[in-house]
Amino acid sequence: MSNLSATVASIQSNDGLNIVTFSLGEESLSMVSLELDEAMCVGSKCLLNVNASSVAIGKKLSGMLSYSNQLSARVAAVESGELLARIVLDISGNRLESLITVASCQRLGLKAGDEVTALVKATELSVSRVLA
Amino acid sequence: MIAIDICKTLYGSMGEMELSVDLRIKEGEFIALAGESGSGKTTLLRIIAGLEKARGTLKVGDEVWMDAKHTLPPQKRKIGFVFQDYALFPNMTVLQNLLFVQKDHALATQLLAMTGLDELKDRLPATLSGGQKQRVSLCRAMMNRPKILLMDEPLSALDPAMRTKLQQEILTLHKNFGTTTIMVSHDPSEIYRLANRVVVLDHGRIIQDDTPKKVLLKTSGSQKFSFEGELLDIVQVDIIMVAIVSIGQQLVEVVISPDEAASLHIGERVTVSTKAFAPILSNR
Repeated sequence: MSNLSATVASIQSNDGLNIVTFSLGEESLSMVSLELDEAMCVGSKCLLNVNASSVAIGKKLSGMLSYSNQLSARVAAVESGELLARIVLDISGNRLESLITVASCQRLGLKAGDEVTALVKATELSVSRVLA
Repeated sequence: MIAIDICKTLYGSMGEMELSVDLRIKEGEFIALAGESGSGKTTLLRIIAGLEKARGTLKVGDEVWMDAKHTLPPQKRKIGFVFQDYALFPNMTVLQNLLFVQKDHALATQLLAMTGLDELKDRLPATLSGGQKQRVSLCRAMMNRPKILLMDEPLSALDPAMRTKLQQEILTLHKNFGTTTIMVSHDPSEIYRLANRVVVLDHGRIIQDDTPKKVLLKTSGSQKFSFEGELLDIVQVDIIMVAIVSIGQQLVEVVISPDEAASLHIGERVTVSTKAFAPILSNR
Protein backbone atom coordinates (compact mmCIF):
# COMPACT_ATOMS: atom_id res chain seq x y z
CA MET A 1 0.00 0.00 0.00
CA SER A 2 1.07 3.51 -0.74
CA ASN A 3 1.21 6.38 1.69
CA LEU A 4 2.21 9.81 0.56
CA SER A 5 2.19 12.55 3.15
CA ALA A 6 1.76 15.81 1.24
CA THR A 7 0.73 19.44 1.76
CA VAL A 8 -1.94 21.21 -0.30
CA ALA A 9 -0.24 23.90 -2.41
CA SER A 10 -3.19 25.11 -4.49
CA ILE A 11 -6.82 24.36 -5.28
CA GLN A 12 -8.46 25.21 -8.61
CA SER A 13 -12.22 24.73 -8.84
CA ASN A 14 -14.85 24.79 -11.57
CA ASP A 15 -18.43 23.64 -10.86
CA GLY A 16 -17.99 20.58 -8.70
CA LEU A 17 -14.63 19.72 -10.21
CA ASN A 18 -11.29 20.46 -8.58
CA ILE A 19 -7.63 20.19 -9.35
CA VAL A 20 -5.49 20.18 -6.25
CA THR A 21 -1.72 20.41 -6.27
CA PHE A 22 0.34 19.07 -3.39
CA SER A 23 3.94 19.42 -2.43
CA LEU A 24 5.77 16.34 -1.34
CA GLY A 25 9.40 17.07 -0.50
CA GLU A 26 10.90 18.44 -3.70
CA GLU A 27 8.10 17.02 -5.79
CA SER A 28 4.77 18.45 -6.81
CA LEU A 29 1.68 16.30 -7.37
CA SER A 30 -1.66 17.06 -8.88
CA MET A 31 -5.04 15.42 -8.37
CA VAL A 32 -8.35 15.74 -10.17
CA SER A 33 -11.32 15.29 -7.87
CA LEU A 34 -15.06 15.88 -7.59
CA GLU A 35 -16.23 17.44 -4.27
CA LEU A 36 -13.40 17.89 -1.77
CA ASP A 37 -13.40 17.27 1.96
CA GLU A 38 -14.56 20.53 3.58
CA ALA A 39 -11.56 20.53 5.92
CA MET A 40 -9.17 20.71 2.99
CA CYS A 41 -7.54 24.08 2.24
CA VAL A 42 -4.18 25.41 1.12
CA GLY A 43 -1.65 24.31 3.73
CA SER A 44 -3.60 21.18 4.81
CA LYS A 45 -1.54 18.08 5.39
CA CYS A 46 -3.04 15.07 3.61
CA LEU A 47 -2.37 11.39 3.18
CA LEU A 48 -2.55 10.59 -0.52
CA ASN A 49 -3.19 7.21 -1.98
CA VAL A 50 -3.06 5.64 -5.39
CA ASN A 51 -3.85 2.09 -6.29
CA ALA A 52 -0.66 0.16 -7.11
CA SER A 53 -2.27 -1.05 -10.35
CA SER A 54 -2.45 2.57 -11.57
CA VAL A 55 1.22 3.42 -11.04
CA ALA A 56 3.44 3.05 -14.11
CA ILE A 57 7.21 3.22 -14.03
CA GLY A 58 9.54 4.93 -16.50
CA LYS A 59 13.27 4.66 -16.85
CA LYS A 60 15.54 6.99 -18.84
CA LEU A 61 12.47 8.86 -20.06
CA SER A 62 12.60 11.22 -23.01
CA GLY A 63 9.85 12.72 -25.10
CA MET A 64 6.63 14.06 -23.64
CA LEU A 65 4.01 12.28 -21.57
CA SER A 66 0.59 13.57 -20.49
CA TYR A 67 1.01 12.18 -16.96
CA SER A 68 0.54 15.09 -14.53
CA ASN A 69 2.57 13.26 -11.94
CA GLN A 70 6.07 12.25 -12.98
CA LEU A 71 7.89 11.67 -9.73
CA SER A 72 11.57 10.96 -9.28
CA ALA A 73 11.77 7.77 -7.27
CA ARG A 74 14.24 5.19 -6.11
CA VAL A 75 13.37 1.48 -6.30
CA ALA A 76 13.36 0.23 -2.70
CA ALA A 77 12.37 -3.35 -3.44
CA VAL A 78 11.23 -5.63 -6.25
CA GLU A 79 9.01 -8.58 -5.40
CA SER A 80 8.41 -10.80 -8.40
CA GLY A 81 5.68 -13.42 -8.68
CA GLU A 82 5.02 -15.70 -11.64
CA LEU A 83 3.17 -13.04 -13.63
CA LEU A 84 3.07 -9.85 -11.62
CA ALA A 85 5.74 -7.83 -9.88
CA ARG A 86 5.34 -5.42 -6.98
CA ILE A 87 7.78 -2.54 -7.12
CA VAL A 88 8.17 -0.55 -3.91
CA LEU A 89 9.32 2.99 -4.61
CA ASP A 90 10.75 5.61 -2.32
CA ILE A 91 9.84 9.21 -3.08
CA SER A 92 11.57 11.58 -0.64
CA GLY A 93 10.97 9.15 2.20
CA ASN A 94 7.40 8.27 1.14
CA ARG A 95 6.36 4.84 0.04
CA LEU A 96 4.65 4.27 -3.31
CA GLU A 97 3.82 0.84 -4.70
CA SER A 98 3.52 -0.13 -8.32
CA LEU A 99 2.05 -3.36 -9.64
CA ILE A 100 3.31 -4.21 -13.11
CA THR A 101 3.77 -7.38 -15.12
CA VAL A 102 6.94 -9.39 -14.65
CA ALA A 103 7.55 -8.95 -18.40
CA SER A 104 7.58 -5.15 -17.98
CA CYS A 105 9.76 -5.41 -14.90
CA GLN A 106 12.31 -7.44 -16.88
CA ARG A 107 12.10 -5.15 -19.90
CA LEU A 108 13.12 -2.24 -17.66
CA GLY A 109 15.63 -4.39 -15.78
CA LEU A 110 14.31 -3.04 -12.47
CA LYS A 111 16.27 -3.73 -9.30
CA ALA A 112 16.61 -2.12 -5.88
CA GLY A 113 18.53 1.15 -5.98
CA ASP A 114 17.47 2.10 -9.54
CA GLU A 115 16.51 5.72 -10.18
CA VAL A 116 13.18 5.74 -12.00
CA THR A 117 10.14 7.92 -12.68
CA ALA A 118 6.80 6.99 -11.13
CA LEU A 119 3.92 7.91 -13.44
CA VAL A 120 0.48 8.58 -11.96
CA LYS A 121 -2.47 10.18 -13.73
CA ALA A 122 -4.07 13.04 -11.83
CA THR A 123 -7.43 11.21 -12.00
CA GLU A 124 -5.96 8.17 -10.24
CA LEU A 125 -4.57 10.03 -7.25
CA SER A 126 -6.85 10.37 -4.22
CA VAL A 127 -6.85 11.76 -0.69
CA SER A 128 -7.31 9.03 1.91
CA ARG A 129 -7.26 11.39 4.90
CA VAL A 130 -6.90 15.09 5.70
CA LEU A 131 -4.52 15.15 8.67
CA ALA A 132 -4.56 18.82 9.70
CA MET B 1 -27.42 -38.95 -0.20
CA ILE B 2 -30.67 -37.08 0.16
CA ALA B 3 -32.85 -37.29 -2.94
CA ILE B 4 -35.67 -34.81 -3.17
CA ASP B 5 -38.06 -34.99 -6.11
CA ILE B 6 -41.27 -33.27 -5.18
CA CYS B 7 -44.16 -31.31 -6.65
CA LYS B 8 -46.86 -29.24 -5.01
CA THR B 9 -49.33 -26.68 -6.24
CA LEU B 10 -49.22 -23.52 -4.14
CA TYR B 11 -51.81 -20.80 -4.02
CA GLY B 12 -50.14 -17.48 -3.25
CA SER B 13 -50.73 -13.78 -3.77
CA MET B 14 -49.51 -14.19 -7.36
CA GLY B 15 -52.08 -16.91 -8.06
CA GLU B 16 -51.35 -20.57 -8.61
CA MET B 17 -47.74 -21.71 -8.63
CA GLU B 18 -46.19 -25.13 -9.14
CA LEU B 19 -43.37 -25.92 -6.71
CA SER B 20 -41.25 -28.47 -8.52
CA VAL B 21 -37.90 -29.39 -7.02
CA ASP B 22 -35.51 -32.15 -8.02
CA LEU B 23 -32.43 -31.97 -5.83
CA ARG B 24 -29.67 -34.38 -4.78
CA ILE B 25 -27.79 -33.43 -1.64
CA LYS B 26 -24.66 -35.18 -0.39
CA GLU B 27 -24.42 -36.00 3.30
CA GLY B 28 -22.69 -33.26 5.27
CA GLU B 29 -23.41 -30.52 2.75
CA PHE B 30 -24.42 -27.06 3.91
CA ILE B 31 -26.97 -25.68 1.49
CA ALA B 32 -28.19 -22.10 1.42
CA LEU B 33 -31.65 -21.79 -0.04
CA ALA B 34 -32.19 -18.37 -1.57
CA GLY B 35 -34.80 -16.66 -3.71
CA GLU B 36 -37.45 -13.98 -3.49
CA SER B 37 -40.24 -14.27 -0.96
CA GLY B 38 -43.02 -16.45 -2.30
CA SER B 39 -40.60 -18.56 -4.36
CA GLY B 40 -41.34 -21.68 -2.32
CA LYS B 41 -38.33 -21.86 0.05
CA THR B 42 -40.26 -22.25 3.30
CA THR B 43 -42.72 -24.71 1.73
CA LEU B 44 -39.80 -26.85 0.56
CA LEU B 45 -38.38 -26.95 4.11
CA ARG B 46 -41.81 -27.87 5.51
CA ILE B 47 -42.23 -30.67 2.96
CA ILE B 48 -38.81 -32.09 3.90
CA ALA B 49 -39.82 -31.89 7.57
CA GLY B 50 -43.10 -33.64 6.85
CA LEU B 51 -45.17 -30.67 7.98
CA GLU B 52 -46.75 -30.36 4.52
CA LYS B 53 -47.92 -32.91 2.02
CA ALA B 54 -46.60 -33.06 -1.53
CA ARG B 55 -46.47 -35.38 -4.52
CA GLY B 56 -43.22 -37.17 -5.37
CA THR B 57 -40.48 -38.90 -3.43
CA LEU B 58 -38.09 -38.05 -0.62
CA LYS B 59 -35.27 -40.43 0.27
CA VAL B 60 -32.69 -39.92 2.99
CA GLY B 61 -29.90 -42.52 2.76
CA ASP B 62 -31.73 -45.87 2.42
CA GLU B 63 -34.84 -44.61 4.22
CA VAL B 64 -37.86 -43.57 2.23
CA TRP B 65 -39.49 -40.59 3.95
CA MET B 66 -42.12 -40.09 1.30
CA ASP B 67 -43.30 -41.82 -1.85
CA ALA B 68 -46.58 -42.50 -3.66
CA LYS B 69 -47.64 -45.10 -1.07
CA HIS B 70 -46.72 -43.73 2.31
CA THR B 71 -45.43 -40.72 4.20
CA LEU B 72 -43.25 -40.90 7.31
CA PRO B 73 -44.72 -38.66 10.01
CA PRO B 74 -42.58 -35.66 11.12
CA GLN B 75 -41.71 -37.15 14.53
CA LYS B 76 -40.19 -40.24 12.85
CA ARG B 77 -37.96 -38.16 10.59
CA LYS B 78 -34.54 -37.30 11.99
CA ILE B 79 -35.04 -33.58 11.52
CA GLY B 80 -34.06 -30.47 13.43
CA PHE B 81 -36.01 -27.33 12.61
CA VAL B 82 -35.02 -23.78 13.57
CA PHE B 83 -37.55 -21.04 12.92
CA GLN B 84 -36.98 -17.30 12.66
CA ASP B 85 -39.24 -16.67 15.66
CA TYR B 86 -37.52 -19.29 17.94
CA ALA B 87 -40.78 -21.21 18.72
CA LEU B 88 -39.66 -22.16 22.24
CA PHE B 89 -42.07 -23.49 24.88
CA PRO B 90 -42.59 -20.40 27.07
CA ASN B 91 -43.52 -22.40 30.20
CA MET B 92 -40.39 -24.56 30.14
CA THR B 93 -36.86 -23.68 31.18
CA VAL B 94 -34.01 -23.73 28.67
CA LEU B 95 -33.01 -27.23 29.78
CA GLN B 96 -36.61 -28.52 29.73
CA ASN B 97 -37.04 -27.17 26.20
CA LEU B 98 -34.10 -29.35 25.15
CA LEU B 99 -35.11 -32.43 27.14
CA PHE B 100 -38.64 -32.28 25.71
CA VAL B 101 -37.19 -33.51 22.40
CA GLN B 102 -35.04 -36.27 23.88
CA LYS B 103 -34.35 -37.27 27.48
CA ASP B 104 -30.60 -37.12 26.90
CA HIS B 105 -29.04 -35.12 29.74
CA ALA B 106 -25.48 -35.65 28.54
CA LEU B 107 -26.22 -34.30 25.07
CA ALA B 108 -28.21 -31.35 26.45
CA THR B 109 -25.31 -30.42 28.73
CA GLN B 110 -22.82 -30.73 25.88
CA LEU B 111 -24.93 -28.53 23.58
CA LEU B 112 -25.49 -25.89 26.23
CA ALA B 113 -21.76 -25.79 26.94
CA MET B 114 -20.89 -25.50 23.23
CA THR B 115 -23.13 -22.48 22.86
CA GLY B 116 -22.25 -20.86 26.18
CA LEU B 117 -25.72 -21.35 27.64
CA ASP B 118 -24.88 -23.55 30.66
CA GLU B 119 -25.49 -20.75 33.16
CA LEU B 120 -28.89 -19.99 31.67
CA LYS B 121 -30.24 -23.54 31.72
CA ASP B 122 -32.85 -22.89 34.44
CA ARG B 123 -34.14 -19.64 32.93
CA LEU B 124 -37.46 -19.25 31.12
CA PRO B 125 -37.34 -18.15 27.45
CA ALA B 126 -39.04 -14.80 28.22
CA THR B 127 -35.99 -13.75 30.27
CA LEU B 128 -33.54 -14.33 27.40
CA SER B 129 -32.28 -12.02 24.63
CA GLY B 130 -33.05 -12.76 20.97
CA GLY B 131 -29.61 -14.22 20.37
CA GLN B 132 -29.88 -16.46 23.45
CA LYS B 133 -33.34 -17.67 22.43
CA GLN B 134 -32.11 -18.58 18.98
CA ARG B 135 -29.17 -20.46 20.56
CA VAL B 136 -31.65 -22.44 22.65
CA SER B 137 -33.76 -23.29 19.62
CA LEU B 138 -30.60 -24.30 17.74
CA CYS B 139 -29.59 -26.61 20.63
CA ARG B 140 -33.11 -28.03 20.77
CA ALA B 141 -32.97 -28.76 17.04
CA MET B 142 -29.78 -30.80 17.60
CA MET B 143 -31.26 -32.88 20.47
CA ASN B 144 -32.39 -35.79 18.30
CA ARG B 145 -29.07 -35.78 16.41
CA PRO B 146 -30.81 -34.80 13.18
CA LYS B 147 -29.76 -36.15 9.81
CA ILE B 148 -31.06 -32.92 8.33
CA LEU B 149 -31.02 -29.55 10.04
CA LEU B 150 -33.55 -27.17 8.50
CA MET B 151 -33.33 -23.47 9.28
CA ASP B 152 -35.74 -20.83 8.02
CA GLU B 153 -33.95 -17.45 8.15
CA PRO B 154 -32.77 -18.24 11.68
CA LEU B 155 -30.69 -15.09 12.16
CA SER B 156 -32.65 -12.43 10.31
CA ALA B 157 -34.13 -10.94 13.49
CA LEU B 158 -30.72 -10.49 15.15
CA ASP B 159 -28.23 -7.64 15.03
CA PRO B 160 -25.09 -8.04 12.87
CA ALA B 161 -22.65 -8.81 15.72
CA MET B 162 -24.95 -11.50 17.16
CA ARG B 163 -25.46 -12.93 13.67
CA THR B 164 -21.71 -13.38 13.15
CA LYS B 165 -21.41 -15.14 16.53
CA LEU B 166 -24.31 -17.50 15.86
CA GLN B 167 -23.08 -18.22 12.35
CA GLN B 168 -19.89 -19.54 13.93
CA GLU B 169 -21.88 -21.72 16.35
CA ILE B 170 -24.12 -23.05 13.58
CA LEU B 171 -21.02 -24.01 11.60
CA THR B 172 -19.46 -25.71 14.63
CA LEU B 173 -22.62 -27.74 15.32
CA HIS B 174 -23.00 -28.61 11.64
CA LYS B 175 -19.44 -29.96 11.53
CA ASN B 176 -19.38 -31.68 14.94
CA PHE B 177 -22.64 -33.52 14.36
CA GLY B 178 -21.98 -34.25 10.67
CA THR B 179 -25.45 -32.97 9.86
CA THR B 180 -26.70 -32.05 6.45
CA THR B 181 -27.96 -28.50 6.72
CA ILE B 182 -30.41 -26.55 4.60
CA MET B 183 -30.77 -22.90 5.54
CA VAL B 184 -32.98 -20.24 4.01
CA SER B 185 -30.92 -17.04 3.87
CA HIS B 186 -30.81 -13.76 1.96
CA ASP B 187 -27.61 -12.46 3.50
CA PRO B 188 -24.64 -12.80 1.08
CA SER B 189 -21.99 -12.69 3.81
CA GLU B 190 -23.86 -15.35 5.79
CA ILE B 191 -24.20 -17.57 2.71
CA TYR B 192 -20.53 -17.12 1.83
CA ARG B 193 -19.37 -17.93 5.37
CA LEU B 194 -21.57 -20.98 5.96
CA ALA B 195 -22.71 -22.68 2.80
CA ASN B 196 -20.78 -24.79 0.33
CA ARG B 197 -23.64 -24.70 -2.15
CA VAL B 198 -26.41 -22.25 -2.98
CA VAL B 199 -29.74 -23.26 -4.48
CA VAL B 200 -31.83 -20.37 -5.79
CA LEU B 201 -35.58 -20.84 -6.20
CA ASP B 202 -37.74 -18.69 -8.42
CA HIS B 203 -41.47 -19.27 -8.81
CA GLY B 204 -41.13 -22.77 -7.43
CA ARG B 205 -38.25 -23.82 -9.67
CA ILE B 206 -34.50 -24.06 -9.16
CA ILE B 207 -32.88 -21.41 -11.34
CA GLN B 208 -29.34 -21.64 -9.95
CA ASP B 209 -27.40 -24.34 -8.13
CA ASP B 210 -23.72 -23.60 -7.67
CA THR B 211 -20.98 -22.55 -5.23
CA PRO B 212 -21.62 -19.35 -3.21
CA LYS B 213 -18.94 -17.47 -5.11
CA LYS B 214 -20.38 -18.38 -8.51
CA VAL B 215 -23.89 -17.39 -7.44
CA LEU B 216 -23.06 -14.29 -5.41
CA LEU B 217 -20.15 -12.67 -7.24
CA LYS B 218 -21.70 -10.05 -9.48
CA THR B 219 -19.58 -9.61 -12.56
CA SER B 220 -19.91 -7.54 -15.67
CA GLY B 221 -17.64 -8.95 -18.36
CA SER B 222 -14.17 -9.23 -16.81
CA GLN B 223 -15.09 -6.64 -14.18
CA LYS B 224 -15.32 -8.27 -10.78
CA PHE B 225 -16.30 -5.20 -8.78
CA SER B 226 -19.88 -4.74 -9.78
CA PHE B 227 -23.05 -3.42 -8.20
CA GLU B 228 -26.56 -2.87 -9.39
CA GLY B 229 -28.21 0.43 -8.67
CA GLU B 230 -30.66 3.04 -9.84
CA LEU B 231 -29.51 6.00 -11.92
CA LEU B 232 -30.79 9.06 -10.04
CA ASP B 233 -29.26 11.95 -11.93
CA ILE B 234 -26.61 13.01 -14.42
CA VAL B 235 -24.97 16.40 -13.96
CA GLN B 236 -22.50 18.16 -16.21
CA VAL B 237 -19.27 19.30 -14.57
CA ASP B 238 -16.70 21.03 -16.77
CA ILE B 239 -16.47 18.73 -19.83
CA ILE B 240 -17.32 15.56 -17.94
CA MET B 241 -20.64 14.18 -16.73
CA VAL B 242 -21.21 12.82 -13.25
CA ALA B 243 -23.81 10.09 -12.79
CA ILE B 244 -25.36 9.77 -9.34
CA VAL B 245 -26.38 6.20 -8.60
CA SER B 246 -28.09 4.77 -5.54
CA ILE B 247 -26.76 1.38 -4.50
CA GLY B 248 -28.21 -0.25 -1.40
CA GLN B 249 -28.43 2.46 1.23
CA GLN B 250 -25.78 4.64 -0.39
CA LEU B 251 -25.26 7.10 -3.19
CA VAL B 252 -22.20 6.85 -5.40
CA GLU B 253 -20.87 9.09 -8.14
CA VAL B 254 -19.38 7.86 -11.38
CA VAL B 255 -17.68 10.01 -13.99
CA ILE B 256 -19.00 9.25 -17.49
CA SER B 257 -18.55 10.70 -20.97
CA PRO B 258 -21.27 12.71 -22.76
CA ASP B 259 -21.74 9.79 -25.18
CA GLU B 260 -22.36 7.40 -22.32
CA ALA B 261 -24.69 9.92 -20.69
CA ALA B 262 -26.75 10.14 -23.89
CA SER B 263 -27.44 6.42 -23.84
CA LEU B 264 -28.59 6.34 -20.20
CA HIS B 265 -32.00 7.21 -18.78
CA ILE B 266 -32.69 8.63 -15.33
CA GLY B 267 -34.52 6.10 -13.19
CA GLU B 268 -33.26 3.01 -14.97
CA ARG B 269 -31.36 0.12 -13.38
CA VAL B 270 -27.66 0.33 -14.08
CA THR B 271 -24.59 -1.72 -13.26
CA VAL B 272 -21.61 0.07 -11.78
CA SER B 273 -18.49 -1.92 -12.35
CA THR B 274 -14.76 -1.73 -12.45
CA LYS B 275 -11.91 -4.20 -12.50
CA ALA B 276 -10.98 -5.86 -9.21
CA PHE B 277 -7.64 -4.02 -9.43
CA ALA B 278 -9.07 -0.52 -9.26
CA PRO B 279 -10.83 -0.06 -5.90
CA ILE B 280 -9.01 0.82 -2.72
CA LEU B 281 -10.13 -0.96 0.43
CA SER B 282 -9.66 0.69 3.82
CA ASN B 283 -11.10 0.10 7.27
CA ARG B 284 -13.11 2.77 9.01
